[in-house]
Amino acid sequence: MNSRAAWMLALFCVARCGAALAHSAPNSFVKLSFLAQSVRAEVLVPESELAYATAAEGASEPFAAYLLRHLSAETPQGAAWKVDVRSFSHTTYLEHAYLSAQVEFTPPTGASSGAFVLVDDAVTHEVRNHVVIVLMNGAANPEFLGALQYPTRRLTVQRPSPHRSTTGAAHRAGGADSVAGVAPLPIASRSSMSSTK
Amino acid sequence: MKRRWSMSVMFAFLIAAAGTAHAADAICPKPSAGNGQVKAVMTAIHALEKTLNAPQRASLERPFVRESAIRWSNLPVGIVPREGLRLGDLDAKQNQAARGVATAALSACGLKMLDDIRTADDVLKAVDERKIGWDSGNYYMSVLGTPSERTPWMLQIGGHHVAYNFTFNGSGAGATPLFFGTEPIHFSAAGIEYEPLVAQSAAMSNLAKALATRPEAKLLGTFTDVVKGVVVIPVPGKMPTGGTDTGFPMSFPTGNSDRGILYGALTPAEQALVRTAIESYASLPGAAITNPLVAAYESSAALAETYLGYAGQPDLGARGSYVRIDGPRIWMELVVQPAVADNTKLHYHALWRDKQSDYGGEIGH
Repeated sequence: MNSRAAWMLALFCVARCGAALAHSAPNSFVKLSFLAQSVRAEVLVPESELAYATAAEGASEPFAAYLLRHLSAETPQGAAWKVDVRSFSHTTYLEHAYLSAQVEFTPPTGASSGAFVLVDDAVTHEVRNHVVIVLMNGAANPEFLGALQYPTRRLTVQRPSPHRSTTGAAHRAGGADSVAGVAPLPIASRSSMSSTK
Repeated sequence: MKRRWSMSVMFAFLIAAAGTAHAADAICPKPSAGNGQVKAVMTAIHALEKTLNAPQRASLERPFVRESAIRWSNLPVGIVPREGLRLGDLDAKQNQAARGVATAALSACGLKMLDDIRTADDVLKAVDERKIGWDSGNYYMSVLGTPSERTPWMLQIGGHHVAYNFTFNGSGAGATPLFFGTEPIHFSAAGIEYEPLVAQSAAMSNLAKALATRPEAKLLGTFTDVVKGVVVIPVPGKMPTGGTDTGFPMSFPTGNSDRGILYGALTPAEQALVRTAIESYASLPGAAITNPLVAAYESSAALAETYLGYAGQPDLGARGSYVRIDGPRIWMELVVQPAVADNTKLHYHALWRDKQSDYGGEIGH
């Protein structure tokens, strides 16, 4: 099998062989969209790994409440942003079950929405190999921005320059990275729960 | 075969405990022809190149750059396509020459593990009909850069459950990253019994059993895979990207919290188990590649700062069981996961990284 054939097989697998990814423990991912006054995020958490995390805490609260205890944002100077979990749903990706939350991060009055520190340890506080992959919603493919792995739970994020190249972002699992990306895509949402930490 | 390996491990323990030789000598007693010597590996590569046509040589020979170096994975080629010369496409003469390269670079143990893990893939192909790339032919060989006795270059041999990444003439000794795993753990094929990771899993399990008597060795948290492995980046509705070593260079635990117990707190017999576990991994590359690393890992200073930890069941009999050796340079881990083809069974993932000289210290620093 040459490289072309291997890629064709890979494309075939998108629809037909998802269980092979069970080979890899599923990771969380956060897709960000920068708006004028806020940042919206689609937060996907694999249910299998979440179960380990909630069991370790003995947590029995609703997912939105649990998420608000583990997901937050703050200005680079440390002032808390308002966090709203607007909705969530169940979904699957390559045969892994995920909880998908629509979240809106709103900066404090006077603070820019263009730079913040994302804090997330919803799963990583328990599952040591788990990685939170942070992506920027893009017109074509989401751009990879950075990753969080225990014990690191904070990622510095900056609104991208519209002229910045959107390729070539590297990642350092377990370390803090920064960000850039492309045009934001709005995400439909409805109110559910919120917090300001 | 299982009995032979078990006896080897036991013999290794006895030798290590007596302090007379490296346990790897007993784990892997028959050095291969080349034994990892750069000149022997170069000679074998040149012999292979003479058997290849132009497209095949182009597949084999790739630039020594980060993007090529980090392109290894523990996922089937249907998920993470590999690059390089596909071993399953070679004719008999070419295959013999490619095997000469592997023989020159690997120890006899490392070569046998490669063979056995490839056989395991064929076993999976027979029981799992999904077209995801289980196949002993889906293993690849790449030469990154120009083979030389002086300047850095890499030899990669890998596929689904093996990733040998050997860097020659790097600023540091280049045996890592070295990933290996197996599904099934035990199997038979053509009347022969196989257990590809028996030496490594037995050594790590023996270590974990010793650690289990010491509460401070128990690691907190849950382990569903190796901690410093490849990362898949999901793209809903599309093929995931990544699945290679995009996270390199990694950060590693620091301080003394939740890293396990220090080597110096163990009894001499327990310390021997640590060295045996180290050498069970380090015995896979040829001795010329691996010996400088073993010497570094087993120096008194390094061992004094080496932590041992485990989670789950010490006998590795349940998913989530995990054993780790974490020193100033060394990072060796083994985890038990549910099997993919039959999730009522288990399979192993194991990883050896060097915190200073992954990729011979030539990439990403």
